[in-house]
Amino acid sequence: MAADLAELKAMIEAALPDAEAEVSDETGTGDHLLAVVRAPQFDGLSRIDQHRLVKAAVKERFDDGTIHALSVKTEVAG
Amino acid sequence: MADPQLKEKVEELIAANPVLLFMKGTPDAPRCGFSMRVVQVLEAINVDYGAIDVLPALQPLREVTTEIADWQTFPQLYVNGELLGGCDIVEEMFDSGELAEALGVEQPAEAPQPAPAAPSGPPQQSPPLQIE
Repeated sequence: MAADLAELKAMIEAALPDAEAEVSDETGTGDHLLAVVRAPQFDGLSRIDQHRLVKAAVKERFDDGTIHALSVKTEVAG
Repeated sequence: MADPQLKEKVEELIAANPVLLFMKGTPDAPRCGFSMRVVQVLEAINVDYGAIDVLPALQPLREVTTEIADWQTFPQLYVNGELLGGCDIVEEMFDSGELAEALGVEQPAEAPQPAPAAPSGPPQQSPPLQIE
């Protein structure tokens, strides 16, 4: 099953209200993805904790094997 | 649930090594591009570090790091007992100078060079650590 980029974006934005997420397919294979996320919730968190929030939001899609690798770039929304 | 003995061993290693990299392969022969990129950053920043090859016990170690750091993927760089991050975070923090700060070293003037042909001086890393 190919990853649904719009669904992943929605999952991240639902888990982090007021966040903006962009999810793209880095390799064109549908399983190595890049998520760029701007969220107010990142304020004061270490990068690893910011990434944990994003990965937790899409954990279901890791667990069911839809995605294998998700690169994450985070920014604190002002 | 992670093997309690392996978990204890990993916790000891993290406590004993201020900079510890869990990677696929070894610093001299990385077996994964992401692991190689973290090695290149650590070499560029010129810090002593320990390295553990996770491939011989990938799944058991994944279970351990899931429990101790809520993180499943490798590479993982631990600094002073805490998971700093994987490849994305390490490279981002290197570029911004935060990594040098976290490690208490000078930010190098140049960006990491991919696979230098003739390494100058002795290697910076300690010998690979073995997990029984």
